[in-house]
Amino acid sequence: MMIERSLKYVDERLGTASLARKALRKVFPDHWSFLLGEIALFSLVVLVFTGTFLTFFYTPSVQDVVYDGPYAPLQGQHVTAAYDSVMRISFEVRAGLLMRQTHHWAALVFVASIVIHLCRVFFTGAFRRPREVNWLIGILLLFLALGEGFTGYSLPDDLLSGIGLRIFYAVTLAIPVIGTWVTYLLFGGEFPAGDIISRLFVFHIMLLPALLLALVGVHIAILVLQKHTQFPGHGRTERNVVGKRLWPEQTFKSVSLLLFVTAVLALLGGIAQINPVWQYGPFEPFNVTSPAQPDWYIGFLDGALRLGPPWDLTLWGFTTSEVFWPAVLFPGIAFGILTLWPWIERRFTKDRAEHHLLDRPRDTPVRTGIGAAGLMVFFIMFLEGGNDIFGVLLNVSVETITRILQWGLVIAPIVTFLVTYWICKGLSRTRLRPAEVNAGVRLSRTPEGGYETVPLEPTSVDGDRTPAATGPHSE
Amino acid sequence: MTDSDQGSERVDVDRQTEHGPSNVELSGGQRRAERRAGIALAVAIVAGIGLFVVYFSGGQTQVEGILFAIAFGGLGIALGLWANHLLDAREVVEERHELTSGPAGRQAFEDALVEEVGPVIARRSLLLRLLAGAGGALGLALLLPVLSLGPAPGNSLKVTPWRRGSRVVDEEGEPVQLNQLPENGFLTVFPEGHAGAADAQTLLIRVRPGSLELPADRMAGVPDGTHIAYSKICTHAGCPVGLYRAESQSLLCPCHQSQFDVAHGGKPFFGPAARPLPQLLLSVDDKNILVAQGDFTEPVGPAFWDRGRR
Amino acid sequence: MRRTAILLGGVAVLALLLTPATGAATSRGAARAAAAAGQDDIPALEARGRQLYQNACASCHGPDPNGPSYYPRVPSLRDTGGAAAVDWAVRTGRMPWKDNKGPAIERGEPRFGEEDIRALAVYVGRAVGDAQIPDVDPARGNLQRGRDLYGQACAACHGMNGAGAALGGENIAVSLQDVEPIDVAEAIKIGPGQMPVGGGLPDYEFGTAQSRQDVDDIAAYVESLRTTPYNRGGAPIGGKGPVPEGFVAWVIGLGILVLAARWIAGRG
Repeated sequence: MMIERSLKYVDERLGTASLARKALRKVFPDHWSFLLGEIALFSLVVLVFTGTFLTFFYTPSVQDVVYDGPYAPLQGQHVTAAYDSVMRISFEVRAGLLMRQTHHWAALVFVASIVIHLCRVFFTGAFRRPREVNWLIGILLLFLALGEGFTGYSLPDDLLSGIGLRIFYAVTLAIPVIGTWVTYLLFGGEFPAGDIISRLFVFHIMLLPALLLALVGVHIAILVLQKHTQFPGHGRTERNVVGKRLWPEQTFKSVSLLLFVTAVLALLGGIAQINPVWQYGPFEPFNVTSPAQPDWYIGFLDGALRLGPPWDLTLWGFTTSEVFWPAVLFPGIAFGILTLWPWIERRFTKDRAEHHLLDRPRDTPVRTGIGAAGLMVFFIMFLEGGNDIFGVLLNVSVETITRILQWGLVIAPIVTFLVTYWICKGLSRTRLRPAEVNAGVRLSRTPEGGYETVPLEPTSVDGDRTPAATGPHSE
Repeated sequence: MTDSDQGSERVDVDRQTEHGPSNVELSGGQRRAERRAGIALAVAIVAGIGLFVVYFSGGQTQVEGILFAIAFGGLGIALGLWANHLLDAREVVEERHELTSGPAGRQAFEDALVEEVGPVIARRSLLLRLLAGAGGALGLALLLPVLSLGPAPGNSLKVTPWRRGSRVVDEEGEPVQLNQLPENGFLTVFPEGHAGAADAQTLLIRVRPGSLELPADRMAGVPDGTHIAYSKICTHAGCPVGLYRAESQSLLCPCHQSQFDVAHGGKPFFGPAARPLPQLLLSVDDKNILVAQGDFTEPVGPAFWDRGRR
Repeated sequence: MRRTAILLGGVAVLALLLTPATGAATSRGAARAAAAAGQDDIPALEARGRQLYQNACASCHGPDPNGPSYYPRVPSLRDTGGAAAVDWAVRTGRMPWKDNKGPAIERGEPRFGEEDIRALAVYVGRAVGDAQIPDVDPARGNLQRGRDLYGQACAACHGMNGAGAALGGENIAVSLQDVEPIDVAEAIKIGPGQMPVGGGLPDYEFGTAQSRQDVDDIAAYVESLRTTPYNRGGAPIGGKGPVPEGFVAWVIGLGILVLAARWIAGRG
């Protein structure tokens, strides 16, 4: 057959057959939460395909052109070539709007799936030795994704994203000592420096994707090398991987997930309008629109800025902007803690062992509590970022929402930690859905002549008693 | 989930024996799955054909999106059903191998690295230090072109195009006259010759007579006691402060809800902004056109490190 | 199978719900302008208006529209905009005042018929000496110029796409995505709430040809937000921007995909 002859051709030159056969038999555990990272990966695939299409039509230039397309309210207006090209994609290129919207929805889902994947890794302790390096790479991938998203939605040069660029300019200005220089270097001068659109374009289609794709490759390679972690259970030990083979089961499943991701993103891209730049109009540095928010994944920064206290600090003529605390210091500390978490945790648990069995979140109540508290901090910032929209929705003034959330920022994480800790302890005690198969009971005679039953300690099949496998007793 | 759970079998990836299909006959569940997968694929084919039809008849975003979703979704459902019901799926156990090369392995690697380079390293000579120095200098020098990306900031953040005598114009470049605005009217203005300049954007507001409470030197820059001008750039993060609330005579910035009191020198009374909006002192020329008395008396917009130093 | 069917059915329902419905533009504004220009029996209207005023408005606004109101927070009708103000407030259901729980006095269904609203407007307008209802026609307006003016004067509060926004305190700039041209013209004339009289237009003066043209232009743009909103990307999700979009991405996008992952993985 054709396939046999092609395989023979390639194998004679590259020796692929034996290599591939070994690879095809590799085992991957089968829990649904292990597919979350794949959702991110497949969103990235959609992003690359739709993004490539868009690149053929987008013009990264701020040159002045007169709009003469089908959107009547803008006819005859002076806009930049970048904005004009995006209007053309949205109105005149067949399937252009579908591709553009799918691309944007894919970006939102991409970052969301990274976050939920990060949560899974965090709450199950999958970042512990030997996977610290992969944790670092993962955090770096998160930053790259944020950068890709921000640069991407700023490319159309519309009013809403231009306002966002203005805020970003102020944030980099707020860096002490070197802020002004870094800002001028990045933007090419005073706002709105004309070069910024073409620079964002370079970041968005070349520098960041190159890093992103390379690191994704390394991320997966490390995963394959170290083999995937697994939840404790019947037959699962620190020394094996129990699951399904790469071929055919996992391949079919992964391809199925890829198709689902594409389907959902294409559906959203078709029926749900996103970023209607024609309605916002082209960016003018002296115009503004309400409400003004960035894409969701930058929303925590927007919320932090809204919550921030009006404290600027001037010493000997040198000013630390009030923007510094919420937009430079807070993310620095928060993401610093996140990045260094494997080492922070190790300092307190003194646990230097290799771990291939995952924790159930309920069995590590301190880590789970801290994680939940951290998520609550970010959640409060996200809420504040939309305070004017929620204000209209809930019939509450923005001042009230801001005050409540300012207090909430101090109180809610503590409460969240305590409640989460308490829930974890409670779940552990009730032995809900035990990790082990019930080993049975031992029947014995009491001295009085009656009978008593004593539940046996659950063990794994081959008698391997590793600490993580004894569920509720770990602390 | 597999209908025929045969339990896990211990398998060594390197030495796995061949397994043929263990049961040729499909169970009821598998036949159902096969039927559903077939339907899903058939629907996907129809959707795919539909896409051709829609595209070549002009295209329609919503229909295209739905058809793509059906096509991809159908395929996805079919493969998912296949994976879960139609494969001879069984749980497999793979042994983990030691990840570390061990101290012996690492020593061998070190030896391999070192032995080829010769006695120079062992003696830690001057050559090594010069090598490091050259590497450092060259490395830094390679970064020099990056500096070409940005001009030196200089004074540019501290000055705007407003000068003494600059006529006040609107965004089309038309000069603005005293009493042109209605009461509580507002207008975005610029210095003549720089209409549209981002750092010069200024909000001219005609407030209710007698409502301003400013120190005397600031009132001197308010023609008619009603025409007051503030920089439109929010002192927090730089968004244009475009929302003028006529009844309370205050400005709201839509980005982070900083609120500024127009009647009291543009002072922020809510929100994260720390400094008031700089006022542009105005006067009137002999043709009744508003002119500036000079540039803003402090840098406009968000704070930066050397803001307080001239 | 049932779960799959439910899932697919849910998606289909979702798709149907999210598909934008085509709205029919009403032309009440045009009818209103015609009625205003027509031959009304003014004395009869005034009498009816006085009666309505005493029944529905005087308890807060005072017995005489030209005089003080009964409560400090209730404005006297003397200089709130005359007939146009009454027409706007009553026709959009804001007046008579309901108990408003939140920041702003909400729109609602008008609680008076068209004839009664006309009568009230005539009575109050003649009582305070400001009886003119604006004459607006978006067909006379220039769409591009209107968009430009809107961007300068209105977009900061009402949003470039008319979505509306919170203004801090008890104030809201309402959504303009479903308002009549007469609403626009009257609001610009009277400056309701925090909105300045003249709507922020730099040289607005009611009655001048220039101002009438400006209002026609802006009304043309606002009308286009309703009649041709260019929601060609699909369901606008309120037009409020990235916040609802993010919500949809998480709840619908990631939500469906997590369910899909659970289905694909089986009972692993």
